[in-house]
Amino acid sequence: MVFSRFARRFTLLLPLIPSTLYLSFFIGYPLAQSLYWALTPSGGSGEMPLVAIVTSKRFLEVLGNTLLLVAVVVPLQFVLALAATLLFAESFRGKEIALYFFVLPLAVSDVAAALLWYTMLSPRGFLNKLLLELGVVSQPIQFFGYAFRHMEFLAIVLCEAWRATAIVFVNIYAGYQMIDRELIEASEVFGLSFAQRLRHIILPLLKPSIESALLIRTLFALQTFAPVLILAGLDIPVLATETFYVYAQLFDAPKASAWALLIGILTFIVSSVYVYILRTPEVR
Amino acid sequence: MQLEFRGTSSRSVYVQRSAEPHLLFKKILEEKLIRCFVENSPDKGMEKKKLALLIGAAVVAAVAIGIILFTTTKPKPVSLIFASTQLAPPAEQAFARSLLSQFSDETGIKVDFVPMGYAELAARIEAEVKAGKVSTNLIGGLTSDIDPFASKGWVEDLTRFGALPGRTFYPAFEQASKMHGIKAMVPWMTATYVVVVNNKAFDYLPPGLSKEDVIKGTEKWTYDALLEWAKNIYEKTGKQAVGLPAGGGGLLHRFIHGYIYPSYTGKQAELFDSPQAVKLWEYMRELWKYTNPASTTWDAMANPLLGEEVWIAWDHVARIKDAIVTAPDKFTVCPVPRGPVGRGYIVVLAGLAITKGSPDQDAAWKVIEFLTRPEIQAKVAENVGWFPTVKEAAPAVSGPIKKISDGVSAQFAAGDSIAVMIPPLGGKGGEFSSVYRSAFERIVLKGEDIKTVLSEGAAALRKIFQEAGVPPS
Repeated sequence: MVFSRFARRFTLLLPLIPSTLYLSFFIGYPLAQSLYWALTPSGGSGEMPLVAIVTSKRFLEVLGNTLLLVAVVVPLQFVLALAATLLFAESFRGKEIALYFFVLPLAVSDVAAALLWYTMLSPRGFLNKLLLELGVVSQPIQFFGYAFRHMEFLAIVLCEAWRATAIVFVNIYAGYQMIDRELIEASEVFGLSFAQRLRHIILPLLKPSIESALLIRTLFALQTFAPVLILAGLDIPVLATETFYVYAQLFDAPKASAWALLIGILTFIVSSVYVYILRTPEVR
Repeated sequence: MQLEFRGTSSRSVYVQRSAEPHLLFKKILEEKLIRCFVENSPDKGMEKKKLALLIGAAVVAAVAIGIILFTTTKPKPVSLIFASTQLAPPAEQAFARSLLSQFSDETGIKVDFVPMGYAELAARIEAEVKAGKVSTNLIGGLTSDIDPFASKGWVEDLTRFGALPGRTFYPAFEQASKMHGIKAMVPWMTATYVVVVNNKAFDYLPPGLSKEDVIKGTEKWTYDALLEWAKNIYEKTGKQAVGLPAGGGGLLHRFIHGYIYPSYTGKQAELFDSPQAVKLWEYMRELWKYTNPASTTWDAMANPLLGEEVWIAWDHVARIKDAIVTAPDKFTVCPVPRGPVGRGYIVVLAGLAITKGSPDQDAAWKVIEFLTRPEIQAKVAENVGWFPTVKEAAPAVSGPIKKISDGVSAQFAAGDSIAVMIPPLGGKGGEFSSVYRSAFERIVLKGEDIKTVLSEGAAALRKIFQEAGVPPS
């Protein structure tokens, strides 16, 4: 009897073995290796790579850039997505096509999107040609180069907003469609203004979708890689590009692991904070 | 039961008739089985069925044994593994494979080309040599890749293979392929960095500098003349015409340690914080004023040259190749300028080495012989922009690449040469580059104090050379 229960349990666990093996080999092992690298003293100084990078001159710059990017991009995307949701909530002619084009960037890879913006914004690109033709500017606007880091930052924000607002929008729009129409109609009957309706009905009911959308976007924004690398090179180092640079150009696997570990730690902190702040209180 | 095979004469007939041992064996087996069953069983009906079954089994067994014999006795086609840190980009890989398949057609030796990074290659060779089970036969890498292998005894001494007939290696390369007391490699391909000039820029040459000076690399073609030229272009056209590959994947650090440093100080690293070096960085700040600011986002200069975003660009020959091939009439490939001490430039040399204790070393030597043939070397130059290491190959180069090849040889021929090689720092190479990159970033881009940055960098460099066990160069 005891044995058969054990056997049954074991049989149930059996199908899990392949995926466990896969995960431990392709995720567990590299993860353990990079943790080991990041935390084991190495190099001539005998310093722990994680400590070495945190105390390095670049650390604050890199972390600051990353957080600034998140702080600019995520709220911007949230506002844009919410506005788009409210727009698409109304019915108008050509809504389907507009919706299609709005969500289209989801299908574009981040590298392609970044290259697209790079060509568009370069001194001989579409935007500068247009502005020159219209006589708005007499010299092409420089977007790229160390001396123009603020413009590079703008380019990254534009690219990210264009590319990834759609994913926030899809989440929020789906949440909006779940809201009971009767609630909105009732609010109209009671004469609530648009602002009141947004504040007291729509936003509270959208909270779960907003939470997941923001969580996903913040985590991805912390790891923004290709747009930064393509549009700004190393002029604006962020965590992901620094990890890549250290690994691929400086061949320093331990320090690259330490940077990667930092992304992991930061991601963990941010997601915990989100879950804590945005958790829906249980209904009593 | 009669198991004895009757008559030795009939066996000898079989032996004569069939030279194939497995066929003989099969026939003997069949014969035996037939006799055994035909003569000893009483039931003739069962007999036939069993007989058929057994003959079938015998045939199957014979074929199986035959296959085993065939595969063990016939000489196996030799298959080599060729690991290389060079020719890794997809297009170059494809070219390398097609070249090696030509070799396979000729010799029947299969060569598996496996490009990998230095760290991966080093780990692989170390594991194989230490385990005593070497599967990587050939190693292709830069001198700085192969040097640490030679110091650790991971590659064979190639002296015993003798000289390769019909080709003359440049003496400098021959010299460079001897490391740690052995001939560790055979010079394979070479590359360098050049200055590419858009022909329009020649209209704005400063007084005292002629087009001839630039193309021939005379002593008037100096870094100061370059600055005057760039300034002149800027003043007349408003264009910041100089381009440097200062992006994340660009090779700017090579320009600093292998070009401007030797030109100003005579050394790559030893005089990192010398007074001459301070002058050099002051010069870099000046030059940066006339350098296209978007340089910090460029990894290679081919596109900015083609798009005319810059007119005068310095880069690795492989990274400007596309521009020359696309518009050969638009550009001139020139030697690099000289500094107060001389004309510093890097010679990049890739070599071929044979892994210590690897099997089929003669076959591996045949690959080396093939890859250093003048006509193959010319083909490599035309297709992937790596230049020949043998003298006989230079006239064989044709097409737009010829233009680069001429520029490269003008550079080699220019007076006051200070040819340097990238220091063989192994895994420390990245750290070495980053010292120069961060000095550039801090001094030129961020405007920090030159002396402070240089003394910090010099300390870092001393530590790197010390840890790598290499004398500073």
